[in-house]
Amino acid sequence: MKIMPCPLNGPRPIQEFTCGGEVVATPNPDRADAETWADYLFLHHNAAGIVREWWYHVPTSFWFIADRNTVTDEIVRTFLPRELFRPDAQRDQP
Amino acid sequence: MTEPRSPIDDAVRAAGAVVGEHAGVTAVTDYGDPEAEIAASRRLGLADLSPLARVGFRGPGAREWLAARGVELPDEPNRARVQPDGSIAIARSWTEALVLGALRGADSVCDRLEAGAADGHRVRAYSLPRFDGMFWFALTGASAVDCLAKLCGVDMRESAFPVGSVAQTSLARLNAVIVRVDLGDMPVFHLLGDSASAEYAWASLLDAMQEFDGRPVGLRALHALAREFE
Amino acid sequence: MPLGLLKYGLRPRRPPDRFLPPRPELKRAYDTVIIGGGGHGLAAAYYLAVDHGITDVAVLDKGYLGGGNTGRNTAIVRANYLTEDGVRFYAESLDLWRGLSGELDFNLQYSERGHLTLAHADSAIRTMRWRAEVNKHLGVDSELIFPDEIARLVPGLDLSSDVRHPVLAALYHPPGATARHDAVVWAYAARAAARGVELHSDTEVTGIEVEGGRVTGVETSRGTISCNRVLQAVAGQSSLVSGMAGFRLPIHTVPLQACVSLPLKPWLDPIVVSGSLHVYIWQSARGEVVIGGATDPYGLYANRSTLEFAEGTLLPVLELFPFLANVKMLRQWAGMCDMTPDFSPVMGVTPVENLYIDAGWGTWGFKATPVCGKRMAELIATGRTPDLLQPFRLSRFAEFEQVGEKGAASVGH
Repeated sequence: MKIMPCPLNGPRPIQEFTCGGEVVATPNPDRADAETWADYLFLHHNAAGIVREWWYHVPTSFWFIADRNTVTDEIVRTFLPRELFRPDAQRDQP
Repeated sequence: MTEPRSPIDDAVRAAGAVVGEHAGVTAVTDYGDPEAEIAASRRLGLADLSPLARVGFRGPGAREWLAARGVELPDEPNRARVQPDGSIAIARSWTEALVLGALRGADSVCDRLEAGAADGHRVRAYSLPRFDGMFWFALTGASAVDCLAKLCGVDMRESAFPVGSVAQTSLARLNAVIVRVDLGDMPVFHLLGDSASAEYAWASLLDAMQEFDGRPVGLRALHALAREFE
Repeated sequence: MPLGLLKYGLRPRRPPDRFLPPRPELKRAYDTVIIGGGGHGLAAAYYLAVDHGITDVAVLDKGYLGGGNTGRNTAIVRANYLTEDGVRFYAESLDLWRGLSGELDFNLQYSERGHLTLAHADSAIRTMRWRAEVNKHLGVDSELIFPDEIARLVPGLDLSSDVRHPVLAALYHPPGATARHDAVVWAYAARAAARGVELHSDTEVTGIEVEGGRVTGVETSRGTISCNRVLQAVAGQSSLVSGMAGFRLPIHTVPLQACVSLPLKPWLDPIVVSGSLHVYIWQSARGEVVIGGATDPYGLYANRSTLEFAEGTLLPVLELFPFLANVKMLRQWAGMCDMTPDFSPVMGVTPVENLYIDAGWGTWGFKATPVCGKRMAELIATGRTPDLLQPFRLSRFAEFEQVGEKGAASVGH
């Protein structure tokens, strides 16, 4: 069984989680053209190696970020989104 | 409006439940033999507490807002703290709380919190109605840990999951909140999950309990045990 | 007695038959380089040689021929798709499959056994009826059938109504078939090689050379090759190879696992699929029960097997066929699926001139082997995208013209 270390709930079977895809910057909705949106929506880096992804713990509806190796199937590190994004008072934070 | 009903009302009545008022709550008082249910509770019992009050709050101001109303949340997420009135305050995350009303349900803190919830918006504490959305069962007794091990991947032994622990995890493949708050020396696990799956959860638990000679128990037995431990 | 036999009889040792030629030295230049020695790449090489007379071709594979997803899929062939574009494409593949053993003079064990997709809900029946009508309109044999007829086709199936997911109906696709996947690789490889195509296994492509927006060669573990044209046909590694040429793909690579049981006596004729239960099952000529399910829940470039798959896939199989409860599983494996957002492949030109792509084969690649090889060969030889491939072009995503085939995927993913 694969164990995912959840920043909120601790180590849990990975079946309790859903992968939310690569962490990428969202285009500015006021300025982005169709090509930028298509790129954002459809094209992936899909890297072999360490990737940075959104993950979601389903029983708690909790989003966090995981660095994960897609070749060795190892989870390198998990952390709260605020490490990467502007702290938003409406998000969960310690 | 009729009395609020448990999502498994039909199932428990079919199993012989006596539904009535006891210590301020209308719920399953017993299954016809309260004395046997006290003994069963110590061994392995399953009580439907869904008719009891509960309410959630979320938002950056939830913790302070609750504190100002006398509800002290634990400092860390996934912990539960019993309040002086017997209600249980659970920290589901840094910014989300769940309050379970006391077993003796009259004058519930939950009703008071819910009534004043609109006021919380000023400090970004938003109420989450949990009464209709979540079932609430209590699994009690010496075999509860072994029984849960059949349904859940989280280690529920006391060494890993002492009183006051909370796990938000998968129980019989359902999302559930599991809270350990014992009655005296009797282990009690409060189980909460999506009320739409309540009948499935109830049946799965009873099925898992068979090998430990477990059975459904009414509120009368739990109240008797609570008195005993007071 | 044939003289040849007498000749061997008199010799102390019979020279071994060489089905495939030994790997030649790698030349410095080829007209066309095909990256990927699986079914698709070898089929393209074969049709380049046979249909278009292009034989200055090197097929490169970092491992052995057919060692990727051609050898890992569950070998099902069908054309009962949902969109017109999809049905037309896979219908041409069915036509090619039917004559392929003869054309390649090799027994591919092509076995038309019928394909049933079970419907467990009204919404599923609606989709099946839709698929049946689209199929029939385009000349593909598909029909909605009900439990009485399902019982005749699949006697062991639990058709009782008091189960979690009762069988209400099925989309029956009589031309649904299976083929020996390794044989497909060997036959295409041998017939292409006989016409001069070079097969270079154990030759890993490490870079793609692009000058002025045009492909000029590939770097390999055995040296650099210059060439006029490149086809990448590397299911499971598509993003990595296109990355060498500097562009990204609408692909997310996820493992898909499968397993087979110990051999049983023959009891199951058709292929049986349940989208709601996320399983499909058929019985091979060896008697093994071949079982597949949904793709893994997260992306990975690793062919590892998991207990979760075995548990999560075999339990629903028992809901369909309870009598299999005591059957032992023989082995379990995984392949890599290049999943696209619309569950359709990506075929055609790329942002790099003369670099062609055959990718995005998710869980639907094996059945397309002949048609994809034939039509990609046509594109490479003529420079014009065949009408059949046009809907599957890479640029469809930027143009917001996806070919939505999720409703026809065999199981939910």
